[in-house]
Order: sequence, then C-alpha cells, then structure tokens
Amino acid sequence: MATNTRRHKPAVTNAISAYFLHHLQSLVFSLGKIYQAPATTIMTVAVIGITLSLPGGFYLFLKNIDAMAGDLRSSSQISLYLDLDLDEKRARAVAKDIRSMRQVETTRFISRDHSLEEFRQNSGFGKSIDTLSSNPLPHTIVVEPGAADTFEIRNLVKKLQSIPQVAIAKLDTEWLERLYTIIEIAKRSVIIITILFASAVLLIIGNTIRLDIQNRYQEIIVTKLIGATDAFIRRPFLYGGLWYGLLGGLLSWLIVEIGYLAISGPLARLNLLYQSELTLITFSLHDFIILITSSTLLGLTGSWIAVARHLNQIEPS
Amino acid sequence: MIEFHNVTKRYEGGFEALTNVSLQLGDGEMAFITGHSGAGKSTLLKIIALIEKPTRGQALLNRINLNNVARQRIPHIRRNIGIIFQDHQLLFDRPVFDNVALPLQIQGHRRQEIAKRTRAALDKVGLLNKEKSMPITLSGGEQQRVGIARAVVHKPMLLLADEPTGNLDPVLSREIMQIFIDFNQVGVTVLIASHDLGLIEELDKPRLTLNRGQLILNDLAANEEWRNDGWR
Repeated sequence: MATNTRRHKPAVTNAISAYFLHHLQSLVFSLGKIYQAPATTIMTVAVIGITLSLPGGFYLFLKNIDAMAGDLRSSSQISLYLDLDLDEKRARAVAKDIRSMRQVETTRFISRDHSLEEFRQNSGFGKSIDTLSSNPLPHTIVVEPGAADTFEIRNLVKKLQSIPQVAIAKLDTEWLERLYTIIEIAKRSVIIITILFASAVLLIIGNTIRLDIQNRYQEIIVTKLIGATDAFIRRPFLYGGLWYGLLGGLLSWLIVEIGYLAISGPLARLNLLYQSELTLITFSLHDFIILITSSTLLGLTGSWIAVARHLNQIEPS
Repeated sequence: MIEFHNVTKRYEGGFEALTNVSLQLGDGEMAFITGHSGAGKSTLLKIIALIEKPTRGQALLNRINLNNVARQRIPHIRRNIGIIFQDHQLLFDRPVFDNVALPLQIQGHRRQEIAKRTRAALDKVGLLNKEKSMPITLSGGEQQRVGIARAVVHKPMLLLADEPTGNLDPVLSREIMQIFIDFNQVGVTVLIASHDLGLIEELDKPRLTLNRGQLILNDLAANEEWRNDGWR
C-alpha cells in the first residue's frame, strides 16, 4: 500500500494534513449537529430563506421589468407631421429621403387621406368630420430609428426636425423615460432592502450561533482544559454558520423559483391577450452563484461575530 | 515539576483560599493533597492547570512562571497536563472513543495515530470493549475510567486529579487509584486531591494536608532545602 512507503512522513506534513483533516471533521461534525437538531435548524434556515427571498424576488421582478422596458425602448418611434400644403407625391419623396438616412431603420408613410379615414372610423366623430371643408390632418411619416441609444435618438429627432417640410417631429418616449427613472428608483430600493435584510440575516445567524455556544458551554470548557486553542474551538461554530447561510440561501432560491412558477400561469395569459412575447426571466446561473455565495458568506460572518463576542468570555473556573 | 513559593490566592470578595503555600513536587513523584472541603485543594490544582492565577507568590510548572502566561500559550502548556475531574466532564453527545480521542484531535495527530493511541488508553483502563458506547450508558466507575483514559491518552508529564474517587464505592476507588499508581510507575508525575483518608493511608504516598488555605503537613518537605530559605 502507498502508506507503507510514506510511513516516515515529516512531522510538518503530518501536522498540515491533520490541520486540514480537522477542518473537514469540523465541517462534517457541524453538519451532523444540524442534523441532530432538525427543529432548530429548520426554523433558522426557514427564517434566513424567507428573509433572503424578499430581496431575491424583488431583484428578479426588477430584472424582468428592466428587460421589458428594454424591449419597449428598442421599439421607440418618431412621428413626423409634414406641412399641410405638401402634396402626397412630394411627401412620399421626403419619406424616401429619410429612409436612406444612416440612423434610420425604416419608415412608414401614412397619407393624410388614410389618416382621415381611420379617424372617421375610430373616433366616433365621423359626422362632424364630414362637415369640414378640407382635411385638417397632415401626411405622417413614422420613423423607426436604427439605434436604441437615447442620445442618438435625440440627435436624430433634431436632425429630422430641421428638414424644411417637417412641421413637427415628435419622439413619444417621455413616458419611457419616466419608467426608466422609476426603475432606477426601484433598483436603489432593492439595494437598500438587500442591505437591510442581509443585516437581518447576519443578526439571525449571530443569535443562533450565540445560543449554540451557550448550549455547548460545558463542551467548550472541557476542550479548553484539554488544551484546545481558540481557533480549534471556534471552527465548528464557524462552519455551523456557514451551513445555515448555505441552506438558507438555497431555500430562498427555491422560494423565489416557486413564486415565479406561480406567476408564470397568469403571465402566459397576459401574453396571449397582448400578443406580446414577454418571457419571464428567472435566476441565471450567475445570479444563483451570487445568491448562494453571499448567503454563505453572511452565515460565516454572522457566526464569526457571535464567536468573537462570546467565545472568549467562556473560561474554565 | 511543580514549585510553589509562598503562593496566596485571594478570590474577589476577600476569601483567601490559599495562604503562603510553598511546596515542590519533583519529576516522577506522586502525592496526595488532603484536607476538608474548602481547605484549598481545588484552588491549588486550578493554579497548576492555569485556571486561576496566584494573588501573591510564585507558581512554576516546569520552570514556567504560571503567574503571567500569555493567553495564547495557555492551551499549549495545558497539553502537558492530564486533568481528571470528580464529575468526569465527559461529552455526552459522542461515543467513548471520540471522548478519549479529543486531546489527540486537538493536538492535530493523524487518524491512524489517534485510533492506535486511543485504543491503547482505553485498554489501559479496561474499557476497550466500550469504545462505541455512549458515556450515558456507562456506570459511574466506567465514566471515571473514560475520564482517566482521556487524561492520559496524549501522554502528559503531569496528571492532576480532583477527587477522582469522590462518587465511587471503596472497591472501585481502589481500582482507580491503582491506575494512577501504574501511571506513576512509568514516570508520570501525579498529584491527586482527595479526602478519602482511609484509601490514602493504604497507598503510602507523600501527603500535603491543607487546612483553611494553609499547608499544615508536607511529607515532601524533607527533601526540599530551598524551603528553609524561602521561610526566612
């Protein structure tokens, strides 16, 4: 066997391998402790999971809104109302010129007669329109910009406005700007909520570990008398916190996923009604890793604080 | 091994547990501390085990001054000592084997080494067949022997025992004492606090008798010339 050839390992190697072995033992032992006290563990993990699912869910909600707003933005249009005295032939020529511009994706020409007809049918003012001696509506060109960038679109609007035949160039995206501002506010709110709830998780784990330390008071004293260093005693508690954080993070992920599954039914119907193609975005692998890593780190930090505060106070007497 | 020079221990509130105690216990010696409860037996052991610090005087363990040991060094000094408690102080959430193996785990030994030495210690106290048992299922005498196995598993230079036979019947007490004598015969220094005077009488080992914190009898004093100087 391989161990036979390495029987005379240097002491340092032994010490190092024993050190890692103890880390592993503490990790497994703390998991065993959790398994032995399922009620306490389930409660703690549930509290952490629920607490973290709030910022998690909010984040996901926002991510979806953001994606939707992005869709809307890319479909932002510019309406050009031409001078009233322009005849259709010349108006169509203007539209053709505009279509050949670099920043323009495509244009759609709506003649003034067509507009009037549509208005007559849809507005319910058909009779009163008939009394008008002439058509009050201008020819309209709907421009689809090629770029999605706000700055470029605004430049394009200015450029279009400067065309002599264009009476009014109107970018109807002010409401979109408002939406973006609201999303920005919501994003910051999510950050605040996340900080608050992360602090709550820190306190929950800290308190759980504090109680754990109290429950194992006798064990701590005995191991100290046998010659355990502070680091040795600290380790199982730190790993305990790590497990709480990890399991709580997984639970919060599960809660959010289930929540989104519950929403996906009505959303599919909404899609059908609006003939839109909204797809629900769920946690990406990247999001998942960040969620689990940060909840695990929160667990470790919470237990570290508890251990630093309470473990040193326990001395044999 | 152990030297006390005019050690006084006064607790908060003014109670003086030890008053001007001087003694010397050489390497490989074995002695009993006797006296009424509250005479200072436990305090004396606690000073050696770095649980308490002397208020006045000097306590030395292997020439290390116990009055001012840095906090980080305490665990490493304690690893030279095996402590046996009257109430065993076993951990009831794990089997006998894990209890006994604890000092070796703390010191970072390899697993094969831990298994080998733990079984050897359990064998020494006659409990090899109980290694998988939970401590709660054992009798008082067996629990105490597990406590002894844990105290000797890392081969300490010094064994301290505080009333190790306190709750045991005479036959079991004699067995336990015999285990201590066996360890002493292989070179371990042993210091036992006990008020079981009948048993101590039988064993014919030096005695240190405390009365209200003062050392009133010291069988070890005969070969301690330094003490005369100390008492000037």
